[in-house]
Amino acid sequence: MTSRRSFLRQSSAALTGALLLPALPGCQPGAGLGHITGRLLGANAAAGHVLRDTSRLPAPTHTREVEVLIVGGGVAGLSARRWLHRHGQTNTLLVELENQPGGNAAAGRNATSAYPWGAHYLPVPDVRNAELLEFLAETGTLTGFAPGGLPIYNDYHLCHDPEERLNISGHWQEGLVPGLGLNPAEQEQFARFFQLIETLKTARGADGRDAFRIPLDQASTDAEYRQLDQLSFADYLTREKFTAPALRWYLDYACRDDYGATAAQVSAWAGLHYFASRKGQAHNATGADVLTWPEGNQFLVRQLRQQALAPLETGTVAYDLRETATGVEVLTYDVATRQSTRVLARQVLLATPQHVATRLLARVPGHALLPPAALHHAPWLIANLTVEALPQGPGRPLSWDNVRYGSQSLGYINASQQLLAQDSGAAKVITLYWPLTDEAPGPARRRAYQTPYADWLPRVVAELETYHPGVTPYIREADIWVWGHGMVAPTPGLLWGAARQAAMRPVRNRIFFAHTDFSGISIFEEGFYQGIRAAREILGK
Amino acid sequence: MVESVAEPRAAAPTADRQPPGLLLLAVAVIATCGLIYELIAGTLASYLLGDSVTQFSTIIGAYLFAMGIGSWLSKYLDGPLLRWFIRLEILVGLVGGCMAPVLFLSFEYVASFRLLLYALVGLTGVLVGIEIPLLMRILEHRYSFKDLVARVFAVDYVGALLASLIFPMVLVPQLGLIRTSLLFGAMNLVVAAVVLGRFAETRPYRRQFTAGIVVSLLGLGTLFVLADKLLAHTETLAFQDQVIYSKSTPYQRIALTRNSRELRLFLNGNLQFSSADEYRYHEALVHPLLQALPRARRVLVLGGGDGLAVRELLKYPRLRSIHLVDLDPGMTELFRQNELLLALNKGALNHPKVQVTNADAYQWVRQDTARYDAIVVDFPDPGNYSIGKLYSAAFYTALVRRLAPGGRLVVQSTSPYLARQSFWCVAHTLAAVGLHTVPYHLYVPSFGEWGFVLAGPDAQWRGDAGPLPAGLRYITPATIHDMLRFPPDMSEVPTEINQLNNQALVRYFEEDWGPYVH
Repeated sequence: MTSRRSFLRQSSAALTGALLLPALPGCQPGAGLGHITGRLLGANAAAGHVLRDTSRLPAPTHTREVEVLIVGGGVAGLSARRWLHRHGQTNTLLVELENQPGGNAAAGRNATSAYPWGAHYLPVPDVRNAELLEFLAETGTLTGFAPGGLPIYNDYHLCHDPEERLNISGHWQEGLVPGLGLNPAEQEQFARFFQLIETLKTARGADGRDAFRIPLDQASTDAEYRQLDQLSFADYLTREKFTAPALRWYLDYACRDDYGATAAQVSAWAGLHYFASRKGQAHNATGADVLTWPEGNQFLVRQLRQQALAPLETGTVAYDLRETATGVEVLTYDVATRQSTRVLARQVLLATPQHVATRLLARVPGHALLPPAALHHAPWLIANLTVEALPQGPGRPLSWDNVRYGSQSLGYINASQQLLAQDSGAAKVITLYWPLTDEAPGPARRRAYQTPYADWLPRVVAELETYHPGVTPYIREADIWVWGHGMVAPTPGLLWGAARQAAMRPVRNRIFFAHTDFSGISIFEEGFYQGIRAAREILGK
Repeated sequence: MVESVAEPRAAAPTADRQPPGLLLLAVAVIATCGLIYELIAGTLASYLLGDSVTQFSTIIGAYLFAMGIGSWLSKYLDGPLLRWFIRLEILVGLVGGCMAPVLFLSFEYVASFRLLLYALVGLTGVLVGIEIPLLMRILEHRYSFKDLVARVFAVDYVGALLASLIFPMVLVPQLGLIRTSLLFGAMNLVVAAVVLGRFAETRPYRRQFTAGIVVSLLGLGTLFVLADKLLAHTETLAFQDQVIYSKSTPYQRIALTRNSRELRLFLNGNLQFSSADEYRYHEALVHPLLQALPRARRVLVLGGGDGLAVRELLKYPRLRSIHLVDLDPGMTELFRQNELLLALNKGALNHPKVQVTNADAYQWVRQDTARYDAIVVDFPDPGNYSIGKLYSAAFYTALVRRLAPGGRLVVQSTSPYLARQSFWCVAHTLAAVGLHTVPYHLYVPSFGEWGFVLAGPDAQWRGDAGPLPAGLRYITPATIHDMLRFPPDMSEVPTEINQLNNQALVRYFEEDWGPYVH
């Protein structure tokens, strides 16, 4: 019966086939990329590079006086501004060279969805991080405390399930820890590693402090743990006989994800910290849960910004800094009006990456900033793709974080994950993260800056094809963002060498520093903490 | 092909030099086609409207009557009769051939389906009625009258026998109604083509008619191929019964099937109700809640675009307004317009007290500012993460904000027998947002054991509050009492709370149903 039916179908199709075929929607093999629209975006490198030759900038046309000038509107700068504001220092001015504050917590929006251009989640925090919890309560992310004392988080801000899936040879499994096709020896290594992490989560040093803690400056000074900063994570893993390829892939993935560097490039302390510092607790979530928003951490940035009323000027570059008898004089340049301003401040907070601070302090002696070569900042590529559909392989459905085993990129997140509406099959925006770790950061950065959109697009599409074969015709838009200095990597010796602590020391109670570069780890909590630390120094507390 | 080059006489077409059997063969073919159209119309009417005896009887009557009109009208056709005949065959081919696809596809759109059905049946009947008298007139010089009558009618009835045998045995099972209709339309066109090719006198208009026939054949052929595409979704799902309606909306695939006993609605292949026993489900969904709220005035219904819960609500004259929010306009429009479904929901969605909004329930509930005395939540089962959000603690928290003081809600909570963890997970999630819950269940033959959770600010109600409307077929104070008892195989099991960040319910539902789908 079936065969007769199909015979009839085929013969009738043959009758009219020639007429119909051109009208049928189909897939031409080797579909081109001509249907994909998009553009290349990026940090305002042009404005940033004004600093390299400040001699061409116009002389200042007017003067402005403030108590505290904050240079840099990333998380650290905004956090400091907020802290100063609520502790009585409202006379501040923040200048930010980008058009949108937030540093790498940038975001965009199109007709389909908001989406992140960088940092996009915050793990459920350690309940001892009182300042952060207080901030989250003010943003409506933390809605109260359960009778047992544990915080209750806003259901709409906790990442909705399903959270993570991993594609192994075309099959999607739940979670990012590879589970499919592991032999007993590999399983044993995974179990041993996670057992080690559980031990380290509760471990304390001789000083009574946690071995691993966020912010990391509150971690134990015990040499037993700090010595782990001297060797690379990869060497440590080999030494401890963690050699299973699947485990090493997973740990390398984790390092690339959080630090933009491989396990061979970061210290063992940092590699373990990634796992062992996750001690979050909540009444309605686990420590493995994260808080996220369609626009990523831009949500938190907006809240930080709104919690202080002091002026904030975007598109403005601070380019010259000198000390005066009463404080600091800084020249700023407004990219839009092409005018310079002389800002006279009693104190200045440099909430910029260290290489920017170094340039600004070219004529100021007495600081201990690390030479630019001492810090490892990998360039990152981020692509936001608007897709009509994602041809789905077997296994778990679309999740928030979608990764392929062995993939060059870090995979993509579904920016529409937190939307509550029923899935109508409408287009989605997915955000692909790709730290460019193939070569040293310097050459990789130069190459990335020189690569045009026309060269990026085929690479991005080819990468997504490895996740979803046949997806190309469904991609409608692909915008690409290149971060020259994506984030600092905790290379061996950086975190617990003396130089990092020395670098953030204020200069003559006039010049202060706050940035995740001074933590050596670029996560929201560290930026937030850096801002508060510096604000406290400024307030003299 | 053409045997004679002589110009035919203008007014009296002859078939003298033609093979005598050709036109008789045409009679056999058109007779078969004619009866097939009648059978298609009758079958379609029974499929779509039910009550096959009435449908077949009235369709056959209307069809035969229309044929009579056609026979009568045939006398007004003068001039070159062969030309009329070819024209007629093309028309019959198109009208008859498209009858089934047109009726199937228009079922959802036209306000009065019967009118269209009988109009098409009438038109086809008239055209078919002209055929035989016209052919007899064409053949009148070829045979003596008694021979002519004997032969034409003999062949006609043989064709009818053939049609009546192959229709149920071969055509419907193998091709389905749409393709059968198209195939026989094409046969009429082939008759037109053969006559056009074999008779010399058709030469002056041959080119013009050939073009018409080719275009018509291509049209029918296209539909023949597309029929599969159009109906693939429904037919390949292997519904037990005949699919009488199917439509893919952006949100779901709606399919309506019927057999002699009942009408069934499927969303994405999952049974939503059977007309045979849906009253049990909808009475159990609505009446315990309303009985618990003797002073309820305003009701919100989420989901339930079929209007069947609203039908039950309208049995309470005290209600002032019923607001139904359903995602899919495809559903609510179908249940507001289709005669058959209007009979089932008693036009509930068109009632002046009822307001229908097509919106995503989650977004809508968060934005709405009104308060309701009663909320009826009748969503599809939590079979995916998207729907799972509508059973989450966060959603119930938003829903509680819409309850007036003392208000209560009821939630369709899947089967406590087939999906025991899922059922109790819904109950526990409602309890987790601070509601007192009253779980209950009943037997719905087409579903099995089914459960609901009534939830409100207190645990006062135990099935003994206000009066019930007259005429209920399942719910009585005694049945309510029975529904509250859970035997050991359905009794409470511990579960997690369904939250957006764990979607525990979807996971339970997958586990619970796993044994049944593999």
